[in-house]
Amino acid sequence: MSGKASLLVVMGFNLIFLVLSKNFGDVSSRTVDNYVNYYQGTVAHDIAISAANIAANQIFLDPTWDDGYSDIPFQGGSYDVQLAVIDPYKNIREITAEGNFGGKTSTVKVKFAPSKFSKFAYYSVSEGGTIWWTGNDTVWGPFHTQDYLRAAYHPVFYGKATTKKSLIYYTSQKADKPYFLGGYEQGVNLPLPSDAVDKMESFADDDGLKFSGKDTVYLMFAGDSLKYKYKHSDPYLSLYLPAESPNGMIFAKDCVLRLKGTVKGQYTIGCSSTMSLGKGTIYLDDDIVFNQDPRIHPTSNDLLGICAENSVYITDNIPNRSDINIHGSIYCEKGGFGAQNYDSRPKSGNINLLGGIIQNTRKAVGTFSSGSIKTGFAKRYAYDNRLLVASPPFFPGTGGFEIVSWLE
Amino acid sequence: MGFSTILDVIGSMIIGGILLSITMRLNDAATAKTYNYSGELSLQENMATVAQIIEDDFRKIGYCADWNKFPDPTKAVVFANESSIKYLTDIDYDSNMDSIRYYLGPTSELLSTPNPRDRMLYRVLNNEAPKSANLGVTQFRMVYFDALGDTLLPPILNPALITSVEINLTVESVAAYDTAYSSAFWRQIRLVARNLKNR
Repeated sequence: MSGKASLLVVMGFNLIFLVLSKNFGDVSSRTVDNYVNYYQGTVAHDIAISAANIAANQIFLDPTWDDGYSDIPFQGGSYDVQLAVIDPYKNIREITAEGNFGGKTSTVKVKFAPSKFSKFAYYSVSEGGTIWWTGNDTVWGPFHTQDYLRAAYHPVFYGKATTKKSLIYYTSQKADKPYFLGGYEQGVNLPLPSDAVDKMESFADDDGLKFSGKDTVYLMFAGDSLKYKYKHSDPYLSLYLPAESPNGMIFAKDCVLRLKGTVKGQYTIGCSSTMSLGKGTIYLDDDIVFNQDPRIHPTSNDLLGICAENSVYITDNIPNRSDINIHGSIYCEKGGFGAQNYDSRPKSGNINLLGGIIQNTRKAVGTFSSGSIKTGFAKRYAYDNRLLVASPPFFPGTGGFEIVSWLE
Repeated sequence: MGFSTILDVIGSMIIGGILLSITMRLNDAATAKTYNYSGELSLQENMATVAQIIEDDFRKIGYCADWNKFPDPTKAVVFANESSIKYLTDIDYDSNMDSIRYYLGPTSELLSTPNPRDRMLYRVLNNEAPKSANLGVTQFRMVYFDALGDTLLPPILNPALITSVEINLTVESVAAYDTAYSSAFWRQIRLVARNLKNR
């Protein structure tokens, strides 16, 4: 009798232990499953991101690359990359990168658009010696310099800032660190082309407007019309721009260009030089503004590119003695943007710029003493936010693509 | 009834008592372990779920299916503090920007659960009612970094300075045997939303 009871007790305990161990085993298995699922998902995602970065790098190295990748082993898994041109007219491309690991798949989609210099609020190859960006300076859009970025007393950069060389602080990081509101990357090499203005001539020949064989060309935008002359004393002649330059390119070959007026529509002005001294320079004789200021009329389509092979100067003349208003993106391939006689002209108020400055070498627009203007201009530069997504026709491109959208 | 019978009865009672005691201890231990193991499994599942949702959402900060409609990523983070963040993203890929807000509710909301520390982690899409589930979150803390990798100290007066986020998440079991709550900790050391650095 007692033997039977003992057997029952032992069997009972065995049964209980069996149930318990199965239960604990199930819990352990589910825990491991859960961990493995998360791990596999994370690794698949990391592989997809790596694949997107590898493909993006390939596009930056070779903008024509469109082969993609198929079933490439990577980190114990594999990836596939496909590249599609989703907008042939604007050359918008998209890569779809898929990472596979342990049966899990993760996808990253990245869109690229051709990169134009016009997107910059400020670009320079050389910062012109040791000019410091100070706490009084604010750059409202994308910034790039091939030079050092010299910072004193916390300058502010609202757009993404990139430099080829490093950051230099006036005294210390604590006292001078810039505020980068759009991020900062160092070591970005983005050289200025050496023949972009020359290449504009072919666009002017094809449905654009070209002036050639003159020493100086005076242009005055007047809404839909463009008034021009070749001597200061001459009367202006007039053209109907939509008919004369349907593609928006206006090119002045090997001359000095003097510019002012009110621009209606989207135009780029190019001024080239064939090694002649002083040619390929644009002088701003007075205000050059949009017909509709986009800050007042957000639907304004007016855009202007002012592209000089050498420099763009604010003329030292009477109309420019009390402020100058400039709407447009200024591009100086071999020179810079500055004020004529900046150190001897009278105090001339503010440069009210809406747009951006892309220049080879930073130039001065005035001199200062104890924080106030002594000669020339004070800078009031605003960024035209439309330049993030639009550019004046045929404005020089960087030759590469930029990432405009990243979905993961 | 003889003396030996009494001894048998007493001996049986002692042995039976010991067996009963062992059985009760076994039952107690088995219950505790089952409770704790199941709790830890739920805890781990909750943690993975919350982490995946947060990762998926935060990686989309500043994204828009039509990039022309949201070209300036510096406007993506609307406000941010240690336990709350609101940002813009196109969560349903319809090219219209949506706002998403994460914040941690007070402990007083979950007085009905045995764990005194658990809170609701809310996710608010646009102007919809806040959505949440009690996943045993006891800590949701974020640390923000600027473009040079330096920590931004709260309060973050200018959220445009944010370029990466450290996310700390602690999840505890909402109920536990003998108040021995299990906990799990997850940290995303640097979550970088790529769209914040596009242009």
